Amino acid sequence: MYITMVKKIRADGTPCRKCTEVEQLLRKETLLDKIDNIVIADERDPESGGMQLARKYNITYAPFFIVESEGKAPVIYTVYFQFVKEVFKTSTTEKQEIDEIMDMNPDIDFI
Amino acid sequence: MSKLAGREDMTVIAFDVNHLAEEYDQKKPSEIIKLALDSFENLAISFSGADDVVLVDMAVRINPDVNVFSLDTGRLHTETYRLLEQVREHYNIQIEVLFPDTAAVQELVKEKGLYSFYKDGHKECCGIRKVGPLRRKLATLDAWITGQRKDQSPDTRAAVPVIEIDGTFSTSDNRLIKFNPLSNWTSNQIWQYIRKNDVPFNELHKRGFISIGCEPCTRPVLPNQHEREGRWWWEEATTKECGLHPGNLDKKSV
Repeated sequence: MYITMVKKIRADGTPCRKCTEVEQLLRKETLLDKIDNIVIADERDPESGGMQLARKYNITYAPFFIVESEGKAPVIYTVYFQFVKEVFKTSTTEKQEIDEIMDMNPDIDFI
Repeated sequence: MSKLAGREDMTVIAFDVNHLAEEYDQKKPSEIIKLALDSFENLAISFSGADDVVLVDMAVRINPDVNVFSLDTGRLHTETYRLLEQVREHYNIQIEVLFPDTAAVQELVKEKGLYSFYKDGHKECCGIRKVGPLRRKLATLDAWITGQRKDQSPDTRAAVPVIEIDGTFSTSDNRLIKFNPLSNWTSNQIWQYIRKNDVPFNELHKRGFISIGCEPCTRPVLPNQHEREGRWWWEEATTKECGLHPGNLDKKSV
């Protein structure tokens, strides 16, 4: 299994708040060293590695995770709590997962 | 399960989402719905009780037994409940009405009352009453059809593709495909279709409501006001902090 994390640098050059939070959570849970590759999606550079991956997988927000396993299609995670639950089998609550879904998708409630 | 490939093979391999999204981008909504219905058996339309009723009208013409679900938050307008019933009878279809988790609602109301969203923001309530039930339903599907349109929110929906992998609700066991057949339609086109085809619609639209959600969180808008201004108006406009600037993503395709 090979795990790539894509995190964002915003158009003004500052790091994305959510990406920083997620990185801190990974560190706190001692999971950061299980991420094989961290790629930057720099909004100022459409050709940055992370922006290319976002286009390739049709992802429109960050951070996101790509989990590649031999012989299988890559699995993309845009919800952090779902990612750690499924990949690292950590326990999460439904509320945590839904809160994050709503944070990352401000119009998900607009349906 | 997809009619094109087994779930164990990851549906998306055979159902080439990026290619089809491009191919179908300029096609009619009915053609996109047909593709969805032809490609997936385990698929349902999400019907909110607003102008997305056109999805139901189009789909029933293709498959009279199409699956439709609706989220009853417990706080909808009477007019919306009436429309759900009218649609059920008009098209002779079943509408699966989904409800929030009782214990979660009771806990919220006990702790914060019935109108906590005016003080704490709408997300907690929406999470319990809407997103939770939606997520549980989507976990049982291979694909869903929504009424999302680009013109509904210039900030957050400007790049809604007609077909996409649902990055929010897919899991490692369930790769969910999301169809947005109305993505490129404007509100005007929706209403032309409704009038031309005599489609039943929510009475609230006659009273200036454009976007219709829960009763306490929805209000009519004035002419030229954006429909989003009729929802959660007491909160500051949301900025999509996590968004990867869609302009950049759109300029190139890999």
